[in-house]
Amino acid sequence: MPGKQTCFTFLDHTADLGIRLTGPTLEDLFRNAGLSLMEIMLDKRPAAKTSPHHLSVSGDDLPDLMVRWLGEILYLLEGENKVAMDIEINAISETQLDATLHTVPFDPRIHQMVTEIKAATYHQIEVAPTGNGWQATVIFDL
Amino acid sequence: MDVSLEKIDDCRWLIPQTGVMRVPGMVFANDELMRSIRQDQSLQQVANVATLPGIVGYSLAMPDIHWGYGFPIGGVAAFELDEGIVSPGGVGYDINCGCRLMTTRLRADEIQPQMKELVAALFRRIPTGVGSRGPLRLSRSDQDRVAVMGAEWAVKRGFGTPRDLERTEDHGAMEGADPSVLSERAIQRGRDQLGTLGSGNHFIEIQAVDAVYDPEKARQFHLFEGQATFFIHTGSRGFGHQICDDFLKEMGRRAFKGEIPFELPDRQLACALLSSDLARRYLAAMACAANYAWANRQILMHWTMETFLKTLSIRPEELGMNLLYDVCHNIAKKEMHQVSGEGTMVCVHRKGATRALPPGHPLLPEIYRATGQPVLIPGDMGTHSYVLAGAAGSMERSFGSSCHGAGRILSRTQAVKQAKGRAINRELEDKGIIVHSRGKHTLKEEMPEAYKDVSLVVDVVEAAKLAVKVARLRPLGVIKG
Repeated sequence: MPGKQTCFTFLDHTADLGIRLTGPTLEDLFRNAGLSLMEIMLDKRPAAKTSPHHLSVSGDDLPDLMVRWLGEILYLLEGENKVAMDIEINAISETQLDATLHTVPFDPRIHQMVTEIKAATYHQIEVAPTGNGWQATVIFDL
Repeated sequence: MDVSLEKIDDCRWLIPQTGVMRVPGMVFANDELMRSIRQDQSLQQVANVATLPGIVGYSLAMPDIHWGYGFPIGGVAAFELDEGIVSPGGVGYDINCGCRLMTTRLRADEIQPQMKELVAALFRRIPTGVGSRGPLRLSRSDQDRVAVMGAEWAVKRGFGTPRDLERTEDHGAMEGADPSVLSERAIQRGRDQLGTLGSGNHFIEIQAVDAVYDPEKARQFHLFEGQATFFIHTGSRGFGHQICDDFLKEMGRRAFKGEIPFELPDRQLACALLSSDLARRYLAAMACAANYAWANRQILMHWTMETFLKTLSIRPEELGMNLLYDVCHNIAKKEMHQVSGEGTMVCVHRKGATRALPPGHPLLPEIYRATGQPVLIPGDMGTHSYVLAGAAGSMERSFGSSCHGAGRILSRTQAVKQAKGRAINRELEDKGIIVHSRGKHTLKEEMPEAYKDVSLVVDVVEAAKLAVKVARLRPLGVIKG
């Protein structure tokens, strides 16, 4: 079930909400980031038939790519009412990401939004390699 | 970098100008508040803002300062128009988040027996909660009109009266709004969120005036002890969030490419020279969101009034609802201030700070020329809110600004952890406060212990002569997202 494979911890930030993410590869890290965003915002995402949604995002560097990627997924929910149930990263570089999101239409009765996120911010943004994979820190404005 | 602090007096602390800071920092706080301010990184953020080009005077922080992203929440900074910058992060994602207070002819004890019904009726009527959509669906041309006309658009549609506009900062419409600069995404996100409260710390509260500090100003504000009032706190919803996000990304990209002639200490402080076309477009878009927020609060006020009339089965003249004032606390504005002894136009950023014009200021409407501008300071849902009036010290010390609220001391995750196993709504009900909320964790995140004591915050504001206390409001019923 989507969401089960996400791996993030909350960071304490007085005004907002920060998370630390990890992943063995850069693809995993970005996939994990996208699914974590959905997990934070929505209480439930029961399995349902999905439709593919292709996203292509470019950034100036990895931190910028991360903020823009999360911004795209947030807009998909807020602007187009689409919930990402699962994510495949098709290709990724330091400045470019191509992904297929498996989405379902947002239904407030089913998905129960629990946290309103205004945006992923650049404040203390970090995407960096670790000894055995990748780590990112993202602070969201609530 | 450790930020050094020098205590000036009982309510002011100086952050000396060091390194790449262009001006010193100044924090309004007493010893007790400073102890909690030192716990997070907000003082570093005050110092970071002081490095931005064209900043004049001090990088300021109000007593409710807490750690934000880029700018601290509770930050005030003014920039020269020629050499200075405008920063979307210095305004915030929720452009023109603000407060509006309504007085009534009713006594709070008259409506107390029906408080549960009133709160439940409000909760049914007002779209609340995360991603809430309203019953209004705006056509593109109507959305453009809202963006330019602000609260007046709502009044023309029958939400309230023209008299309300005089009692709204900027008459509910900021000049310079230009919808042609907006992204399709901003328009899309704004389409169905007008007339919604949102979530987090946004609320509508029914209150009782339980203390009057300045009887003369209170009389002119139509406030009396024991009176029932209601208070609205919300902003520009997804429309404003998207506008901030769009421009931060555009400005950040230019900074990354080295297209701006200065270094940024934090990417979230991305900004543009005020003389640039990018700054002009941001300010035009920001004004659209500010106007949307004023229309939003105007509509919510009208629906709240209708709910009162229906639930209490009374006529409008019995309710006697009167808008006291509507004021924003996330905004950037070009204003005239004294800089090095000379009247100078500057761009004042207020990020979690409220304008507080003193008596006699030319921008004040006639009705408040003698009292000073009403300043509305919400507390947390278990404690008081305050009505203040701008004082002369605000022009000398804080570019006409005051605090905006209590300010958090616990992060949301800490608050939820500490509130585990507690029924916050029952605890509040025991204190005589009826609360309805939509979100699963909202009440825990927003519990009184998560915030500083608002009375300490307003006492510092008064001691620093930024504003004077007029009255205190006690919560009776609250709806939250």
